[in-house]
Amino acid sequence: MNARLDGEFREFMHARWPAMVRLAYGLTGDQGHAEDVAQAAFARAYASWPRVSRAGDPDAYVRQIVINQNRNRFRKHQVTERLTHSPPESGLADVAWTDATRHYDDRSVLIAALQRLGPRQRAVIVLRYWMDLTEHETAAVLNCSAGTVKSQASRALATLRQDTELVDEGFQ
Amino acid sequence: MRIDDERDLHGQLEAAFEAITPRPAPIDGAVRRGRAIRVRRRVAVAAGAAAAVAIGVFAVLSLLHQTASPAPVSPARPYTVTVQAPDPHPAPGLIASGTIDGQSWQLTAAKPGTGTPEPSEQIFTTSGPAFGGDATSRTGQALAVGPVDRPPGDSADPVFFSDISGLVLTRGPVQVQYGAVRADVTYVAVRLTNGTVLTLHPVAVYGVRAIAFAVPVGAGIVDATAYSRHGEIAAATPFNAPSGVAAFGVWLTPGQHGLTRASGRIGSGTVNGHAWSVTAYLGPWGICYQVPATGLTWAYCMPTTALDRNSGPLNSGTLSMTGDGLAVAAGHAPTSAAWVIVNQSDGTTTKVWPVTVGGQKLFVFQLRAGPDPLSWTAYDNSGHVVAWPAS
Repeated sequence: MNARLDGEFREFMHARWPAMVRLAYGLTGDQGHAEDVAQAAFARAYASWPRVSRAGDPDAYVRQIVINQNRNRFRKHQVTERLTHSPPESGLADVAWTDATRHYDDRSVLIAALQRLGPRQRAVIVLRYWMDLTEHETAAVLNCSAGTVKSQASRALATLRQDTELVDEGFQ
Repeated sequence: MRIDDERDLHGQLEAAFEAITPRPAPIDGAVRRGRAIRVRRRVAVAAGAAAAVAIGVFAVLSLLHQTASPAPVSPARPYTVTVQAPDPHPAPGLIASGTIDGQSWQLTAAKPGTGTPEPSEQIFTTSGPAFGGDATSRTGQALAVGPVDRPPGDSADPVFFSDISGLVLTRGPVQVQYGAVRADVTYVAVRLTNGTVLTLHPVAVYGVRAIAFAVPVGAGIVDATAYSRHGEIAAATPFNAPSGVAAFGVWLTPGQHGLTRASGRIGSGTVNGHAWSVTAYLGPWGICYQVPATGLTWAYCMPTTALDRNSGPLNSGTLSMTGDGLAVAAGHAPTSAAWVIVNQSDGTTTKVWPVTVGGQKLFVFQLRAGPDPLSWTAYDNSGHVVAWPAS
Protein backbone atom coordinates (compact mmCIF):
# COMPACT_ATOMS: atom_id res chain seq x y z
CA MET A 1 0.00 0.00 0.00
CA ASN A 2 1.39 3.38 -0.87
CA ALA A 3 2.08 6.13 1.63
CA ARG A 4 -0.98 8.15 0.67
CA LEU A 5 -3.38 5.26 1.30
CA ASP A 6 -1.53 4.31 4.45
CA GLY A 7 -1.88 7.86 5.75
CA GLU A 8 -5.52 7.94 4.75
CA PHE A 9 -6.18 4.78 6.74
CA ARG A 10 -4.36 6.10 9.80
CA GLU A 11 -6.39 9.28 9.67
CA PHE A 12 -9.61 7.33 9.31
CA MET A 13 -8.80 5.02 12.21
CA HIS A 14 -7.77 7.90 14.42
CA ALA A 15 -11.07 9.64 13.76
CA ARG A 16 -13.37 6.64 13.97
CA TRP A 17 -11.70 4.58 16.70
CA PRO A 18 -13.76 5.95 19.59
CA ALA A 19 -17.04 5.43 17.75
CA MET A 20 -16.21 1.86 16.80
CA VAL A 21 -15.06 1.01 20.33
CA ARG A 22 -18.33 2.43 21.65
CA LEU A 23 -20.32 0.44 19.14
CA ALA A 24 -18.46 -2.73 20.16
CA TYR A 25 -18.95 -1.79 23.79
CA GLY A 26 -22.66 -1.48 23.24
CA LEU A 27 -22.66 -4.99 21.82
CA THR A 28 -20.30 -6.61 24.33
CA GLY A 29 -20.61 -4.56 27.50
CA ASP A 30 -16.89 -5.06 28.10
CA GLN A 31 -14.43 -2.36 27.19
CA GLY A 32 -11.49 -4.73 26.84
CA HIS A 33 -13.41 -6.94 24.44
CA ALA A 34 -14.72 -3.88 22.66
CA GLU A 35 -11.22 -2.60 21.97
CA ASP A 36 -10.07 -6.03 20.79
CA VAL A 37 -13.03 -6.28 18.45
CA ALA A 38 -12.55 -2.77 17.11
CA GLN A 39 -8.85 -3.26 16.51
CA ALA A 40 -9.47 -6.51 14.66
CA ALA A 41 -12.06 -4.74 12.51
CA PHE A 42 -9.71 -1.93 11.63
CA ALA A 43 -6.98 -4.46 10.82
CA ARG A 44 -9.29 -6.17 8.36
CA ALA A 45 -10.18 -2.83 6.88
CA TYR A 46 -6.48 -2.06 6.45
CA ALA A 47 -5.96 -5.41 4.73
CA SER A 48 -8.47 -4.35 2.06
CA TRP A 49 -8.03 -0.61 2.36
CA PRO A 50 -7.57 0.29 -1.33
CA ARG A 51 -10.88 -1.37 -2.13
CA VAL A 52 -12.61 -0.30 1.07
CA SER A 53 -11.58 3.26 0.48
CA ARG A 54 -12.67 3.15 -3.15
CA ALA A 55 -16.07 1.79 -2.17
CA GLY A 56 -16.69 5.11 -0.46
CA ASP A 57 -18.11 4.05 2.90
CA PRO A 58 -15.32 2.69 5.08
CA ASP A 59 -17.38 3.40 8.16
CA ALA A 60 -20.04 0.91 7.06
CA TYR A 61 -17.39 -1.69 6.28
CA VAL A 62 -15.73 -1.45 9.68
CA ARG A 63 -19.09 -1.34 11.42
CA GLN A 64 -20.11 -4.56 9.70
CA ILE A 65 -16.91 -6.26 10.75
CA VAL A 66 -17.29 -5.05 14.32
CA ILE A 67 -20.71 -6.66 14.42
CA ASN A 68 -19.44 -9.88 12.84
CA GLN A 69 -16.40 -10.04 15.09
CA ASN A 70 -18.53 -9.48 18.13
CA ARG A 71 -20.83 -12.25 17.10
CA ASN A 72 -17.87 -14.62 16.79
CA ARG A 73 -16.53 -13.54 20.16
CA PHE A 74 -19.91 -13.96 21.77
CA ARG A 75 -20.16 -17.52 20.63
CA LYS A 76 -16.68 -18.38 21.82
CA HIS A 77 -17.55 -16.96 25.21
CA GLN A 78 -20.76 -18.92 25.35
CA VAL A 79 -18.78 -22.09 25.82
CA THR A 80 -16.10 -20.75 28.12
CA GLU A 81 -17.91 -18.53 30.56
CA ARG A 82 -19.81 -19.87 33.50
CA LEU A 83 -22.92 -18.32 34.94
CA THR A 84 -23.07 -17.91 38.69
CA HIS A 85 -26.13 -17.83 40.87
CA SER A 86 -25.04 -14.81 42.82
CA PRO A 87 -23.77 -11.72 41.02
CA PRO A 88 -20.60 -10.04 42.26
CA GLU A 89 -20.87 -7.17 44.67
CA SER A 90 -21.55 -3.88 43.00
CA GLY A 91 -18.69 -1.44 43.26
CA LEU A 92 -21.22 1.34 43.75
CA ALA A 93 -22.97 -0.19 46.72
CA ASP A 94 -21.37 2.04 49.31
CA VAL A 95 -20.90 5.10 47.21
CA ALA A 96 -22.66 8.17 48.49
CA TRP A 97 -25.49 9.35 46.28
CA THR A 98 -24.45 12.46 44.48
CA ASP A 99 -25.75 13.76 41.20
CA ALA A 100 -22.55 12.68 39.51
CA THR A 101 -22.69 9.13 40.78
CA ARG A 102 -26.38 9.03 40.04
CA HIS A 103 -25.71 9.90 36.42
CA TYR A 104 -22.89 7.39 36.27
CA ASP A 105 -25.14 4.75 37.69
CA ASP A 106 -27.93 5.60 35.26
CA ARG A 107 -25.56 4.97 32.43
CA SER A 108 -24.15 1.75 33.79
CA VAL A 109 -27.64 0.48 34.60
CA LEU A 110 -28.72 1.13 31.04
CA ILE A 111 -25.65 -0.63 29.63
CA ALA A 112 -26.22 -3.54 32.00
CA ALA A 113 -29.84 -3.76 30.89
CA LEU A 114 -28.69 -3.89 27.29
CA GLN A 115 -26.45 -6.81 28.16
CA ARG A 116 -29.44 -8.72 29.47
CA LEU A 117 -31.05 -8.60 26.02
CA GLY A 118 -30.34 -11.30 23.47
CA PRO A 119 -27.47 -10.50 21.11
CA ARG A 120 -29.69 -9.67 18.17
CA GLN A 121 -32.07 -7.49 20.18
CA ARG A 122 -29.10 -5.70 21.69
CA ALA A 123 -27.62 -5.11 18.24
CA VAL A 124 -30.93 -3.77 17.00
CA ILE A 125 -31.20 -1.32 19.90
CA VAL A 126 -27.63 -0.11 19.45
CA LEU A 127 -27.90 0.27 15.70
CA ARG A 128 -31.41 1.71 15.57
CA TYR A 129 -31.49 3.93 18.64
CA TRP A 130 -27.89 4.88 19.16
CA MET A 131 -26.43 4.87 15.65
CA ASP A 132 -29.76 6.06 14.21
CA LEU A 133 -29.75 3.60 11.34
CA THR A 134 -33.06 3.10 9.59
CA GLU A 135 -34.85 -0.22 9.83
CA HIS A 136 -33.64 -1.10 6.35
CA GLU A 137 -30.06 -0.12 7.11
CA THR A 138 -30.15 -2.12 10.33
CA ALA A 139 -31.60 -5.09 8.47
CA ALA A 140 -28.79 -4.91 5.91
CA VAL A 141 -26.15 -4.82 8.62
CA LEU A 142 -27.68 -7.73 10.51
CA ASN A 143 -28.51 -9.66 7.36
CA CYS A 144 -32.18 -10.00 8.20
CA SER A 145 -35.45 -8.49 7.05
CA ALA A 146 -36.73 -5.07 8.03
CA GLY A 147 -39.69 -6.85 9.59
CA THR A 148 -37.36 -8.78 11.85
CA VAL A 149 -35.68 -5.56 12.89
CA LYS A 150 -39.05 -4.06 13.69
CA SER A 151 -40.21 -7.01 15.75
CA GLN A 152 -36.87 -7.39 17.53
CA ALA A 153 -36.83 -3.68 18.37
CA SER A 154 -40.36 -3.85 19.68
CA ARG A 155 -39.55 -6.85 21.88
CA ALA A 156 -36.33 -5.30 23.08
CA LEU A 157 -38.03 -2.06 24.06
CA ALA A 158 -40.73 -4.00 25.86
CA THR A 159 -38.09 -5.99 27.71
CA LEU A 160 -36.21 -2.85 28.69
CA ARG A 161 -39.40 -1.23 29.97
CA GLN A 162 -40.03 -4.24 32.15
CA ASP A 163 -36.45 -4.60 33.30
CA THR A 164 -36.65 -4.46 37.08
CA GLU A 165 -33.21 -2.90 37.44
CA LEU A 166 -34.21 -0.06 35.16
CA VAL A 167 -37.52 0.37 36.91
CA ASP A 168 -35.79 0.42 40.28
CA GLU A 169 -33.46 3.12 39.00
CA GLY A 170 -36.31 5.23 37.70
CA PHE A 171 -36.43 4.06 34.09
CA GLN A 172 -39.86 3.17 32.82
CA MET B 1 -35.38 8.86 32.72
CA ARG B 2 -37.88 7.12 30.55
CA ILE B 3 -37.32 4.90 27.58
CA ASP B 4 -40.76 5.00 26.04
CA ASP B 5 -39.70 7.89 23.88
CA GLU B 6 -37.33 6.61 21.20
CA ARG B 7 -35.57 9.96 20.85
CA ASP B 8 -35.06 10.02 24.56
CA LEU B 9 -33.56 6.54 24.37
CA HIS B 10 -31.11 7.83 21.80
CA GLY B 11 -30.04 10.56 24.19
CA GLN B 12 -29.63 8.12 27.05
CA LEU B 13 -27.59 5.73 24.94
CA GLU B 14 -25.51 8.61 23.64
CA ALA B 15 -24.72 9.69 27.19
CA ALA B 16 -23.94 6.14 28.26
CA PHE B 17 -21.57 5.51 25.36
CA GLU B 18 -19.95 8.93 25.49
CA ALA B 19 -18.83 8.05 29.01
CA ILE B 20 -16.67 5.30 27.52
CA THR B 21 -13.16 6.60 27.02
CA PRO B 22 -11.21 4.26 24.78
CA ARG B 23 -7.46 4.03 25.03
CA PRO B 24 -5.59 5.81 22.23
CA ALA B 25 -6.21 4.23 18.85
CA PRO B 26 -3.68 1.37 18.37
CA ILE B 27 -3.08 2.36 14.78
CA ASP B 28 0.32 0.72 14.39
CA GLY B 29 -1.03 -2.52 15.80
CA ALA B 30 -3.98 -2.51 13.40
CA VAL B 31 -1.66 -1.78 10.48
CA ARG B 32 0.61 -4.69 11.44
CA ARG B 33 -2.31 -7.05 11.74
CA GLY B 34 -3.79 -5.77 8.48
CA ARG B 35 -0.53 -6.38 6.63
CA ALA B 36 -0.41 -9.88 8.05
CA ILE B 37 -3.93 -10.60 6.83
CA ARG B 38 -2.99 -9.40 3.34
CA VAL B 39 0.05 -11.65 3.24
CA ARG B 40 -1.92 -14.59 4.45
CA ARG B 41 -4.51 -14.12 1.73
CA ARG B 42 -1.85 -13.91 -0.94
CA VAL B 43 0.09 -16.93 0.14
CA ALA B 44 -2.93 -19.06 0.87
CA VAL B 45 -3.73 -18.98 -2.83
CA ALA B 46 -0.28 -20.22 -3.74
CA ALA B 47 0.22 -22.54 -0.81
CA GLY B 48 -0.55 -25.69 -2.74
CA ALA B 49 2.24 -25.00 -5.18
CA ALA B 50 4.89 -24.01 -2.70
CA ALA B 51 7.72 -26.47 -2.24
CA ALA B 52 8.70 -24.83 0.97
CA VAL B 53 7.15 -21.91 2.67
CA ALA B 54 7.56 -20.09 5.88
CA ILE B 55 4.48 -20.33 7.93
CA GLY B 56 3.48 -17.45 10.07
CA VAL B 57 1.86 -18.04 13.33
CA PHE B 58 0.66 -15.49 15.75
CA ALA B 59 0.01 -15.13 19.37
CA VAL B 60 -2.04 -12.55 21.12
CA LEU B 61 0.00 -11.26 23.99
CA SER B 62 -2.75 -11.66 26.51
CA LEU B 63 -2.77 -15.39 25.87
CA LEU B 64 0.94 -15.91 26.16
CA HIS B 65 0.81 -17.19 29.69
CA GLN B 66 -0.85 -20.36 28.46
CA THR B 67 2.38 -22.12 27.69
CA ALA B 68 1.26 -25.63 28.48
CA SER B 69 0.34 -27.80 25.53
CA PRO B 70 -3.38 -27.53 24.86
CA ALA B 71 -5.31 -30.64 25.66
CA PRO B 72 -7.29 -32.18 22.82
CA VAL B 73 -10.93 -31.16 22.87
CA SER B 74 -13.51 -33.90 22.59
CA PRO B 75 -17.25 -33.70 22.38
CA ALA B 76 -18.65 -34.19 25.85
CA ARG B 77 -20.91 -36.99 24.74
CA PRO B 78 -21.72 -39.12 21.69
CA TYR B 79 -23.11 -37.16 18.79
CA THR B 80 -25.01 -37.77 15.59
CA VAL B 81 -24.54 -35.68 12.50
CA THR B 82 -26.14 -35.67 9.09
CA VAL B 83 -25.79 -33.75 5.86
CA GLN B 84 -28.86 -33.60 3.67
CA ALA B 85 -28.79 -34.46 0.00
CA PRO B 86 -29.19 -31.33 -2.13
CA ASP B 87 -32.74 -30.28 -2.86
CA PRO B 88 -33.53 -30.34 -6.60
CA HIS B 89 -34.74 -26.77 -6.16
CA PRO B 90 -32.53 -25.35 -3.45
CA ALA B 91 -32.94 -21.93 -1.92
CA PRO B 92 -30.66 -19.34 -3.54
CA GLY B 93 -27.19 -19.51 -2.08
CA LEU B 94 -27.78 -22.67 -0.05
CA ILE B 95 -24.54 -24.67 0.03
CA ALA B 96 -25.46 -27.38 2.49
CA SER B 97 -27.72 -28.24 5.37
CA GLY B 98 -27.92 -30.96 7.94
CA THR B 99 -28.30 -31.72 11.61
CA ILE B 100 -26.19 -32.09 14.72
CA ASP B 101 -27.93 -34.11 17.41
CA GLY B 102 -31.20 -33.43 15.66
CA GLN B 103 -30.72 -29.67 15.52
CA SER B 104 -30.63 -28.25 12.05
CA TRP B 105 -28.01 -26.03 10.45
CA GLN B 106 -27.55 -24.37 7.09
CA LEU B 107 -24.69 -22.71 5.29
CA THR B 108 -25.61 -20.14 2.66
CA ALA B 109 -23.64 -17.73 0.53
CA ALA B 110 -24.83 -14.36 -0.62
CA LYS B 111 -24.32 -13.26 -4.19
CA PRO B 112 -20.73 -12.10 -4.61
CA GLY B 113 -20.38 -8.38 -4.18
CA THR B 114 -23.61 -8.02 -2.21
CA GLY B 115 -22.85 -5.94 0.85
CA THR B 116 -19.11 -6.29 0.39
CA PRO B 117 -16.63 -3.69 -0.80
CA GLU B 118 -15.03 -6.09 -3.21
CA PRO B 119 -16.97 -7.76 -6.06
CA SER B 120 -15.09 -11.00 -5.55
CA GLU B 121 -16.04 -11.21 -1.89
CA GLN B 122 -19.23 -12.67 -0.56
CA ILE B 123 -20.95 -13.14 2.74
CA PHE B 124 -21.31 -16.65 4.11
CA THR B 125 -23.95 -17.23 6.72
CA THR B 126 -24.45 -20.13 9.08
CA SER B 127 -27.84 -20.45 10.64
CA GLY B 128 -30.06 -22.84 12.51
CA PRO B 129 -30.55 -24.02 16.08
CA ALA B 130 -27.34 -26.05 15.91
CA PHE B 131 -25.45 -22.77 16.12
CA GLY B 132 -27.13 -21.65 19.30
CA GLY B 133 -28.79 -18.27 19.39
CA ASP B 134 -31.13 -16.69 21.83
CA ALA B 135 -33.87 -18.61 23.52
CA THR B 136 -36.60 -16.66 21.78
CA SER B 137 -35.77 -17.33 18.18
CA ARG B 138 -33.83 -20.57 18.63
CA THR B 139 -31.78 -19.64 15.65
CA GLY B 140 -28.16 -18.77 15.63
CA GLN B 141 -26.44 -16.91 12.88
CA ALA B 142 -22.85 -16.19 12.07
CA LEU B 143 -21.31 -14.44 9.15
CA ALA B 144 -17.98 -14.50 7.44
CA VAL B 145 -16.95 -12.24 4.62
CA GLY B 146 -14.43 -13.65 2.24
CA PRO B 147 -13.28 -14.06 -1.32
CA VAL B 148 -14.97 -16.56 -3.56
CA ASP B 149 -12.52 -19.36 -2.97
CA ARG B 150 -12.13 -21.99 -5.58
CA PRO B 151 -9.42 -24.43 -6.56
CA PRO B 152 -6.76 -22.80 -8.71
CA GLY B 153 -7.19 -23.81 -12.34
CA ASP B 154 -4.12 -26.01 -12.28
CA SER B 155 -4.78 -27.46 -8.85
CA ALA B 156 -4.37 -31.16 -8.41
CA ASP B 157 -6.54 -31.01 -5.32
CA PRO B 158 -10.12 -32.07 -5.96
CA VAL B 159 -11.42 -30.06 -3.01
CA PHE B 160 -10.20 -26.72 -1.78
CA PHE B 161 -11.24 -26.54 1.83
CA SER B 162 -11.17 -22.96 2.87
CA ASP B 163 -11.33 -20.96 6.02
CA ILE B 164 -12.94 -18.10 4.10
CA SER B 165 -10.26 -15.49 4.34
CA GLY B 166 -9.18 -15.92 7.88
CA LEU B 167 -12.55 -16.43 9.49
CA VAL B 168 -12.87 -20.10 10.24
CA LEU B 169 -16.52 -20.90 10.43
CA THR B 170 -16.25 -22.25 13.89
CA ARG B 171 -19.07 -21.09 16.06
CA GLY B 172 -19.13 -22.12 19.63
CA PRO B 173 -19.08 -25.89 19.75
CA VAL B 174 -19.57 -26.42 16.02
CA GLN B 175 -17.04 -26.43 13.21
CA VAL B 176 -18.09 -25.93 9.62
CA GLN B 177 -15.88 -27.14 6.82
CA TYR B 178 -16.54 -25.52 3.49
CA GLY B 179 -14.81 -26.38 0.24
CA ALA B 180 -15.01 -25.54 -3.43
CA VAL B 181 -14.60 -28.62 -5.61
CA ARG B 182 -13.20 -29.33 -9.03
CA ALA B 183 -15.57 -29.87 -11.95
CA ASP B 184 -14.99 -33.62 -12.11
CA VAL B 185 -15.91 -34.31 -8.48
CA THR B 186 -19.25 -36.06 -8.18
CA TYR B 187 -19.23 -36.57 -4.43
CA VAL B 188 -17.01 -36.48 -1.37
CA ALA B 189 -17.18 -39.00 1.47
CA VAL B 190 -16.11 -37.78 4.91
CA ARG B 191 -15.39 -40.37 7.59
CA LEU B 192 -15.61 -39.45 11.24
CA THR B 193 -13.98 -41.26 14.13
CA ASN B 194 -17.38 -42.31 15.50
CA GLY B 195 -17.96 -44.34 12.34
CA THR B 196 -20.26 -41.89 10.60
CA VAL B 197 -19.71 -41.39 6.88
CA LEU B 198 -21.07 -38.16 5.43
CA THR B 199 -21.71 -38.12 1.70
CA LEU B 200 -21.43 -34.63 0.30
CA HIS B 201 -22.76 -33.76 -3.13
CA PRO B 202 -21.46 -30.54 -4.69
CA VAL B 203 -23.95 -27.75 -5.21
CA ALA B 204 -23.39 -24.93 -7.70
CA VAL B 205 -23.67 -21.63 -5.87
CA TYR B 206 -22.98 -18.46 -7.82
CA GLY B 207 -20.59 -20.16 -10.19
CA VAL B 208 -18.72 -22.24 -7.62
CA ARG B 209 -19.31 -25.94 -7.01
CA ALA B 210 -19.09 -26.34 -3.27
CA ILE B 211 -19.61 -28.77 -0.42
CA ALA B 212 -19.90 -28.21 3.31
CA PHE B 213 -20.50 -30.12 6.48
CA ALA B 214 -20.76 -29.30 10.16
CA VAL B 215 -19.67 -31.40 13.12
CA PRO B 216 -19.07 -30.70 16.79
CA VAL B 217 -15.72 -29.23 17.69
CA GLY B 218 -13.59 -32.17 18.79
CA ALA B 219 -15.29 -34.64 16.48
CA GLY B 220 -12.34 -36.37 14.87
CA ILE B 221 -12.33 -36.48 11.09
CA VAL B 222 -10.61 -39.58 9.74
CA ASP B 223 -10.43 -38.52 6.12
CA ALA B 224 -12.26 -37.11 3.13
CA THR B 225 -12.25 -38.90 -0.21
CA ALA B 226 -13.26 -37.26 -3.47
CA TYR B 227 -14.79 -39.36 -6.23
CA SER B 228 -15.47 -38.75 -9.89
CA ARG B 229 -17.66 -40.82 -12.17
CA HIS B 230 -14.63 -43.01 -12.75
CA GLY B 231 -13.72 -43.69 -9.14
CA GLU B 232 -11.56 -42.27 -6.41
CA ILE B 233 -9.65 -39.10 -7.27
CA ALA B 234 -7.79 -38.41 -4.06
CA ALA B 235 -8.14 -38.53 -0.28
CA ALA B 236 -7.10 -36.14 2.46
CA THR B 237 -6.38 -36.96 6.06
CA PRO B 238 -6.81 -33.75 8.04
CA PHE B 239 -4.86 -32.61 11.04
CA ASN B 240 -7.25 -32.79 13.97
CA ALA B 241 -5.78 -29.90 15.90
CA PRO B 242 -5.74 -29.89 19.70
CA SER B 243 -8.30 -27.12 19.45
CA GLY B 244 -10.75 -29.71 18.13
CA VAL B 245 -10.94 -28.21 14.65
CA ALA B 246 -9.71 -30.15 11.63
CA ALA B 247 -7.34 -28.62 9.09
CA PHE B 248 -7.21 -30.12 5.62
CA GLY B 249 -3.91 -29.97 3.77
CA VAL B 250 -2.53 -32.53 1.37
CA TRP B 251 -4.70 -34.58 -1.01
CA LEU B 252 -3.09 -37.90 -1.93
CA THR B 253 -3.99 -39.85 -5.04
CA PRO B 254 -4.42 -43.63 -4.69
CA GLY B 255 -1.03 -45.22 -4.00
CA GLN B 256 0.60 -41.93 -3.02
CA HIS B 257 2.03 -41.61 0.49
CA GLY B 258 2.33 -38.55 2.64
CA LEU B 259 4.65 -37.72 5.50
CA THR B 260 5.00 -40.14 8.38
CA ARG B 261 3.31 -38.94 11.53
CA ALA B 262 5.67 -37.21 13.93
CA SER B 263 5.68 -34.19 16.17
CA GLY B 264 8.21 -32.13 18.02
CA ARG B 265 8.98 -28.71 19.38
CA ILE B 266 10.93 -26.73 16.83
CA GLY B 267 11.63 -23.55 18.70
CA SER B 268 10.87 -21.33 21.62
CA GLY B 269 11.72 -17.93 22.93
CA THR B 270 10.65 -15.06 25.07
CA VAL B 271 9.02 -11.80 24.06
CA ASN B 272 8.50 -9.06 26.58
CA GLY B 273 8.94 -11.58 29.35
CA HIS B 274 6.38 -13.98 27.90
CA ALA B 275 7.53 -17.42 26.84
CA TRP B 276 6.41 -18.96 23.56
CA SER B 277 7.12 -22.19 21.74
CA VAL B 278 6.10 -23.76 18.47
CA THR B 279 5.33 -27.44 17.93
CA ALA B 280 5.26 -29.05 14.49
CA TYR B 281 2.92 -31.93 13.67
CA LEU B 282 3.81 -33.93 10.57
CA GLY B 283 1.54 -36.43 8.90
CA PRO B 284 -0.46 -37.16 5.79
CA TRP B 285 -1.93 -33.66 6.06
CA GLY B 286 1.47 -32.05 5.55
CA ILE B 287 3.08 -29.98 8.28
CA CYS B 288 1.00 -28.12 10.82
CA TYR B 289 2.35 -25.75 13.40
CA GLN B 290 0.79 -24.90 16.69
CA VAL B 291 1.73 -22.17 19.10
CA PRO B 292 0.46 -23.25 22.51
CA ALA B 293 -0.48 -19.71 23.28
CA THR B 294 -2.90 -19.74 20.36
CA GLY B 295 -3.54 -23.45 20.31
CA LEU B 296 -7.10 -23.08 21.45
CA THR B 297 -8.23 -21.94 18.05
CA TRP B 298 -5.71 -22.33 15.29
CA ALA B 299 -3.27 -24.62 13.61
CA TYR B 300 -1.22 -23.35 10.70
CA CYS B 301 -0.72 -25.94 8.06
CA MET B 302 1.48 -26.28 5.04
CA PRO B 303 0.23 -28.79 2.48
CA THR B 304 3.44 -30.57 1.64
CA THR B 305 4.45 -34.19 1.27
CA ALA B 306 8.20 -33.82 1.59
CA LEU B 307 11.02 -31.60 0.55
CA ASP B 308 12.52 -34.00 -1.96
CA ARG B 309 15.51 -31.93 -2.91
CA ASN B 310 18.77 -31.36 -1.15
CA SER B 311 19.26 -27.95 -2.66
CA GLY B 312 17.66 -25.43 -4.97
CA PRO B 313 15.55 -22.31 -5.07
CA LEU B 314 12.74 -22.28 -2.57
CA ASN B 315 9.53 -20.41 -2.71
CA SER B 316 9.40 -18.55 0.52
CA GLY B 317 6.34 -16.85 1.83
CA THR B 318 4.28 -16.38 4.89
CA LEU B 319 0.83 -17.69 5.56
CA SER B 320 -0.30 -15.64 8.48
CA MET B 321 1.02 -13.57 11.27
CA THR B 322 -0.61 -11.01 13.37
CA GLY B 323 -0.91 -9.95 16.95
CA ASP B 324 0.54 -7.08 18.87
CA GLY B 325 2.86 -8.95 21.13
CA LEU B 326 4.38 -11.73 19.10
CA ALA B 327 4.74 -12.78 15.50
CA VAL B 328 6.81 -15.78 14.53
CA ALA B 329 7.34 -17.63 11.28
CA ALA B 330 8.27 -21.23 10.66
CA GLY B 331 9.90 -22.74 7.61
CA HIS B 332 10.82 -26.03 5.98
CA ALA B 333 14.39 -26.43 4.75
CA PRO B 334 16.22 -29.13 2.77
CA THR B 335 17.52 -32.02 4.82
CA SER B 336 21.12 -30.92 4.15
CA ALA B 337 20.55 -27.54 5.81
CA ALA B 338 22.56 -26.86 8.94
CA TRP B 339 21.54 -23.28 9.50
CA VAL B 340 19.35 -20.64 7.94
CA ILE B 341 19.92 -16.92 7.57
CA VAL B 342 16.70 -14.90 7.61
CA ASN B 343 16.63 -11.36 6.25
CA GLN B 344 13.79 -9.29 7.62
CA SER B 345 12.29 -6.13 6.26
CA ASP B 346 13.81 -3.93 8.95
CA GLY B 347 17.28 -5.02 7.89
CA THR B 348 17.61 -7.54 10.72
CA THR B 349 19.52 -10.69 9.90
CA THR B 350 18.76 -13.70 12.06
CA LYS B 351 20.57 -17.01 12.14
CA VAL B 352 18.45 -20.00 13.07
CA TRP B 353 19.17 -23.72 13.33
CA PRO B 354 16.63 -26.15 11.89
CA VAL B 355 15.34 -29.00 14.01
CA THR B 356 14.73 -32.44 12.53
CA VAL B 357 11.20 -33.73 13.07
CA GLY B 358 10.04 -36.82 11.24
CA GLY B 359 13.01 -36.56 8.91
CA GLN B 360 12.19 -32.99 7.90
CA LYS B 361 14.24 -29.91 8.74
CA LEU B 362 12.04 -27.24 10.30
CA PHE B 363 12.88 -23.90 11.82
CA VAL B 364 11.13 -21.03 13.53
CA PHE B 365 12.07 -17.46 14.28
CA GLN B 366 10.54 -14.32 15.65
CA LEU B 367 9.41 -11.74 13.16
CA ARG B 368 10.70 -8.34 14.04
CA ALA B 369 9.08 -6.11 11.46
CA GLY B 370 6.03 -7.80 10.06
CA PRO B 371 5.82 -10.61 7.58
CA ASP B 372 6.97 -8.91 4.39
CA PRO B 373 9.32 -8.67 2.70
CA LEU B 374 11.11 -11.68 4.09
CA SER B 375 13.68 -14.00 2.60
CA TRP B 376 15.88 -16.77 3.90
CA THR B 377 18.85 -18.76 2.70
CA ALA B 378 19.88 -22.18 4.00
CA TYR B 379 23.47 -23.38 4.36
CA ASP B 380 24.98 -26.80 4.92
CA ASN B 381 27.67 -27.67 7.46
CA SER B 382 30.37 -26.55 5.05
CA GLY B 383 28.82 -23.15 4.62
CA HIS B 384 27.55 -23.85 1.13
CA VAL B 385 24.22 -22.43 0.14
CA VAL B 386 21.71 -25.24 -0.25
CA ALA B 387 18.46 -23.28 -0.56
CA TRP B 388 17.77 -19.76 -1.62
CA PRO B 389 14.73 -17.64 -2.41
CA ALA B 390 13.10 -18.33 -5.73
CA SER B 391 13.48 -15.40 -8.09
